[in-house]
Amino acid sequence: MALPVIDIHGIHRIYETEAGLTHALRGVSLTVDRGEFLAIMGPSGSGKSTLMNILGCLDTPTSGSYRLEGLEVSSLDDDDLAEIRATRLGFVFQSFNLLPRATVLRNVMLPLIYSDTPRAEREWRAWKALKAVDLPEEYYEHKSNELSGGQMQRVAIARALVNDPALILADEPTGNLDSATSEMVLQTFARMRDRGKTIVLITHDPKVAAWADRTVHIRDGKLLTDEQERAFTASRERKGATS
Amino acid sequence: MRAGDLIRETGSALDSNRGRSLLTVLGIVIGIAAVIAMTALIDGVKYALVGQLGLNRARLVYINCWTQYGSVTANDLERWERDLPEYEFITGTAYGWGEMTVGANSSNGQIMGTYPEFFDAMGINLVEGRFYTEREVEKGSLVIVIDETTARTLFGASGPYVDRTIKLGNYEFEVIGVTEASQMTSNTSYMPLPTLNTRINNYESMDQILGYAREDVDPDELAEKTDAYLRKTYDIDEEEGYGYVYVFTMASVTRQLDSTMLSFQLLMTAVASISLVVGGIGIMNMMLTNVTERIREIGLRKALGARAGDITKQFLLESIALCVAGGAIGILAGYGGAWALAGVASGLAGIEGIAPVITPGAVGMATGICVGIGIVFGYYPARRAAKLDPVESLRYQ
Repeated sequence: MALPVIDIHGIHRIYETEAGLTHALRGVSLTVDRGEFLAIMGPSGSGKSTLMNILGCLDTPTSGSYRLEGLEVSSLDDDDLAEIRATRLGFVFQSFNLLPRATVLRNVMLPLIYSDTPRAEREWRAWKALKAVDLPEEYYEHKSNELSGGQMQRVAIARALVNDPALILADEPTGNLDSATSEMVLQTFARMRDRGKTIVLITHDPKVAAWADRTVHIRDGKLLTDEQERAFTASRERKGATS
Repeated sequence: MRAGDLIRETGSALDSNRGRSLLTVLGIVIGIAAVIAMTALIDGVKYALVGQLGLNRARLVYINCWTQYGSVTANDLERWERDLPEYEFITGTAYGWGEMTVGANSSNGQIMGTYPEFFDAMGINLVEGRFYTEREVEKGSLVIVIDETTARTLFGASGPYVDRTIKLGNYEFEVIGVTEASQMTSNTSYMPLPTLNTRINNYESMDQILGYAREDVDPDELAEKTDAYLRKTYDIDEEEGYGYVYVFTMASVTRQLDSTMLSFQLLMTAVASISLVVGGIGIMNMMLTNVTERIREIGLRKALGARAGDITKQFLLESIALCVAGGAIGILAGYGGAWALAGVASGLAGIEGIAPVITPGAVGMATGICVGIGIVFGYYPARRAAKLDPVESLRYQ
């Protein structure tokens, strides 16, 4: 049995703010296997962004352990975390975050300059990634700000794929898209999963979460399974009905 | 991150801000222009000196001497040469003035009476013919060496000019040589000293005596020694009106010039450093704006795996590239400015025909200054960019 891609255990994240201490994650444990497409759902302020940042090695937990493909990353320093991000992780953001004046190809190749990929290999890899997201070839030399939203997000997915990462993290990837384009982008994710990619997608939209193999819910810094979430919602509705 | 990638990222970042970048580097442009104009002029003056004077001139000692009994004579010079063996030779010259005519053409000019050694000592070059010989000097021959400009005036544009005759006073002179026309020697003709004294001036005189120091002798020390020797030999007492001695070297003239240039150099250095500091602050300001505007890009790069060091390098290189680009414009502007100032400098230094010179050393120094400013004033903005938190940067609106 292969090691799980994500194995987090008892993660706490406490922020110091001017208002005092904020306990954003309270003992979160989660395992994601290779090739799994997981959706994390939760309302704003539930701690889902904090969890996403920790999974993406952009932030480290206050306590608890996080093994990424068996490698303990919770205690690494900034430079080592940067290397993990460059080689093992791919990000897709709600607002695409493409370099506006750069061509599609250059945007997709951007992560490769931080992973020291030989120059000769870069263009070929970028082509492969763009083929995988079905972006027509005539757009490869376009500036990224000349594309439509759906095209931009597919370029962003190609950028996340280009390093052949262990894990793709998508933070509300359809948040800025209409429903038709959203569907196209989600189909792209589903195809990635079919090719064996591990995907963690964060959303507040149940229709988006429905594309995933499994959904976990996060509320007040704690993870709930589907059943727990249903029980939670049911109890809240009951409370609402009685009051 | 590889060096090539770093340069490409920098290039595209600067390209996107061209107008603003250009305005920002104006301070650097002015500062570097001042540095380059200054060094180009000073080097130009030095080249002009060496070129016009010839290297031989460093060994020249100028001797002006009048005794109580009048001008020194050829016999006196022979005695000096015996008593002061540090000289390779001592040669006298005298000045005259005359109108030379050839048919309807005429030219007014200075005429120098000299011995043959004079041409060697002054580094005067011929374009045609020869200088006069020792024998022609002894005989007081009616020969003349004229310069190219005078030759054209008298005989027209086409040569050869040698073997033609010029009427000067009551005599006809044979042209035996034509010298290069230069700023120094323009409109000056040469003839044997005795010829000048007997045929043109009609009196015996030696206005200027030139000593040519031997190669291993310090001309300044020799000048002092000569001064003392002459005062003792001729009992010269200027206060009592008994004659007159003044000895100086070309080297001392050059030193005097250097001190004139120094005040100019100080002024330009002050202008340059003020505008470079102001320019550097401008660069820092622009880089800080740049960092703020590109917070999301910095966040993205960090999320994609850029280390703090990569971000520092990228922004530092941007500020260096800005400064060097400004410096390149400054070098061109400075060279242009140097030509504009060359006239003023000619007046200050008393040398004509200064052509500004840009040496690889000056360009290297200017580039070095630019890189230095880029690093000093770019470091703080670059560190600020590198320290940004990726999570907050990505969320920045």
